[in-house]
Amino acid sequence: MATSPSDRSSSLRKDGAPFRRLLVANRGEIAVRIIRACRELGIESVAAYSDADADALHTRMADRSERIGPPPAADSYLSIDALLAAAARSGADAVHPGYGFLSENAAFARAVEAAGLVFVGPPAETLESLGDKLAARRSVAAAGVPIVPGLLVPLVADGDGSVSKADLSGVGFPALLKAAAGGGGRGMRAVADLAELEAALPGAGREAMAAFGDGTLYLERLIAPARHVEVQLLGDRHGNLAVLGERECSVQRRHQKLVEESPSPAVDPGLREALADSARRVAGTVAFHNAATVEFLVDADGGHYFLEMNTRLQVEHGVTELVTGLDLVAWQIRLAAGGRLPQSVLAAPSRGHAVEVRLYAEDPHHGFAPVSGAISSWRMPDGPGIRVDAGVAGGTALPVEYDPLLAKLMVHAENRPAAVARLRRALDETAIGGLQTDLSFLRWLVDAPAFVTGAYDTSLIETEWGAGPRLTSEERSLAAEVARLARERATRELPAAAGGPPGMDSAWQQLARREAVGRRRPA
Amino acid sequence: MSELELSVDGAPVEPASGWTLTWLDADAGVARLDNGSQSMVCLVEGAGMDWTVTLRGRRIPVVVRSWRERVLADAESASRRHGGPIEVRATLPGLVVALAVREGDEVAAGATLLTIEAMKMQNEVRAPRAGRVVAVGVVAGQAVAAGASLLRIE
Repeated sequence: MATSPSDRSSSLRKDGAPFRRLLVANRGEIAVRIIRACRELGIESVAAYSDADADALHTRMADRSERIGPPPAADSYLSIDALLAAAARSGADAVHPGYGFLSENAAFARAVEAAGLVFVGPPAETLESLGDKLAARRSVAAAGVPIVPGLLVPLVADGDGSVSKADLSGVGFPALLKAAAGGGGRGMRAVADLAELEAALPGAGREAMAAFGDGTLYLERLIAPARHVEVQLLGDRHGNLAVLGERECSVQRRHQKLVEESPSPAVDPGLREALADSARRVAGTVAFHNAATVEFLVDADGGHYFLEMNTRLQVEHGVTELVTGLDLVAWQIRLAAGGRLPQSVLAAPSRGHAVEVRLYAEDPHHGFAPVSGAISSWRMPDGPGIRVDAGVAGGTALPVEYDPLLAKLMVHAENRPAAVARLRRALDETAIGGLQTDLSFLRWLVDAPAFVTGAYDTSLIETEWGAGPRLTSEERSLAAEVARLARERATRELPAAAGGPPGMDSAWQQLARREAVGRRRPA
Repeated sequence: MSELELSVDGAPVEPASGWTLTWLDADAGVARLDNGSQSMVCLVEGAGMDWTVTLRGRRIPVVVRSWRERVLADAESASRRHGGPIEVRATLPGLVVALAVREGDEVAAGATLLTIEAMKMQNEVRAPRAGRVVAVGVVAGQAVAAGASLLRIE
C-alpha cells in the first residue's frame, strides 16, 4: 500500500476505497467496530491509544497504532492536539470520532478539517447549533415538530432567588429541570412543585457549570410514563436523506440506555410515519449530512415529543444494521468522502426484529455501580442470529478511567417473540469471569413480563428491578454444588500438578492431598 | 462422599439435586448445567475454600470446606473480632478527593476517613470500628481501583 500523501486530496480513490488511511479517535468496542469497517472498505486503520490501552483489543487489531498520551481521557482521547498529532504522524487522511469523547465537539471537527483531513461526521457548524438545547427546541418547534411542553428561554431567577411564576405558565408540575448546554443527565432534576424547583436550582446550576462550562437551565414538563424512541438517519452531501426506522431505548439506568430494540413494540405504522416525518423536519433545521439520530419521548397516548438530535454514530446502531442489512459505519465513511446514497439505502426495508443488550462492568445488585478488575474468562454466545461487538477479550484488565462498556450482544430473528427467545438462549451461553457484570440483570429482564410483552417504559429498572431479586434457595444450592465439584476436581488434579519440594506446600494443599488420597482408596 | 461443608453468605447450604454438570472447559472453570428443561453455562473460579460461582450472570461466593477447616477458620475470626488490624479498602473505583484523617489519629466507629468520588458522586468511607489509623496508602487526587487498600486501623 505505498501511496504518496499527494493523493489524499481526491475524495474517491482510484481503487474505490473512500480514504487511504483513517485514524480512529476512540477506544473500546466502537474503535474495533470502525477498524472492521475500514478493513472491509480497503482502508488502513490507525488506532489511537492511551497508556492504559497499550495492550487493548483496538490497539492490537488496527493496522497501525499511535500513542496519544497518559490514561486520563482529558490528556488522551479528549485531547484535540494529541489526536491531530497522531493523525499527522500516521499520514491519515480521515478521522472517525466514534461516539462519546470528541464525536460532537465542533472545535475538534473544525481542527480536523483545518488540518486538511476529513472528519467523518457532520459539518462543525451543525455540531455548534445542536449543542445549545434551547436554541434547538426553538428551531425544531418552528419547523412544526412537537416538543416537550416547557420553556424556550432560560429559567431566570428573581433577585431574591425565587422563580418568577409568569415564566412557568404552560410548563406544569411535575417538571424536569435541564441544562441548556447539556446531556447525559447532568444538571437534570425532577421537581414536583415550585418549592422543589427553587431548592434544586443552585445545585443543578453548579452541576451544569462544572460539566459544560455553562450553568444555564430550563424547565420542561415531566412526561411519565414515557418511552424513549429514536429514529436513525443517514444523509449525503447531495440532499438525500434516508430514514431507517426507529429504535426503542426505554430500558435505562441513570438516564443511560442498557437495552435497545428495533422495531419498537410501542410504535404502530401511524406513529412510525409521524416519527419519520418529525425526524425529517428536525434534520431540515440544520445543515446535516452523515449519520444522525433524532430522539423522541412517546407518552402513554402515543403522542411524541422531540428530545434531541445526535449527529454521530449511536452505541445502539447495530440493531438498525441487523433489521436493514446496512453497514452504517461503512456508509458514514462513504458519505464523508462525498458518496451518494443509492435507492437501496433510501428505501431500505426493515426485516424481522433485533435486540441489543449492553454488557457493562457494573453491579446491578448495587445500583449499577461500575466495578473494576480483570476479565478472567470471556465466553460469548454464537450460532444463528447472534452478533457480538466486543472491545475486550479474556485476560483484559479494565482501566478505571473509561466507560465500563465491555461488549454489545445483539440478536436478530423473524419476529419479537423469536428474538426474545434467542436472546434468552444467547445469555444462557454467555459467561464472564473475574468481575460482576449486568448480565444477571439482563438474564432477569428476558423473563420479566413487562419486557416479554413489550409493555415497558423508562421506569422499568426503578420499579421492577430495584436491586434485583434475592438469591433463591435453588440458586444457592446449585452454586454450592458447582463449587463442591470444582474443589473436588482441583483436589484430584493436585497430586499430579504439585511438583514443588514437599516443604513448600501450603497447609491447604497438604490437606487437599490427604483428602484426595483418602477418597481414592474406596474407589 | 460429601464430607465437604458448603455455605453461601455464611449460611449452610445443601447441594442441589436434579441437575447435571458437564465441564466445557474444566481448566477455565466453564461448565454447562442441565435439568431437563433448562440449560445454561456457568463459571466457577477460586481455590481452596473460597470459590465464586457465576450463575445466570450473578457472582455467588461459596465457601467449600471440610469440618477441620471450618473449626480453624472459626477460631481465627474469633481472634480477629477482639482487635486485630483491619484493612480499609475502596468498594468502588474512583478518585480520592479528600482525606479526613492522618496516620496516628484515633477514630471512633463510623467516623469519616476519606471521600472518594465515583460516578460523579461523593462517597464517604467510614471507619468499620474504633481504633488508631496507621499506614495511610493514598493521597488526595489519586485514582483507586475497587478493592484497593486505603489505610489500616489497629
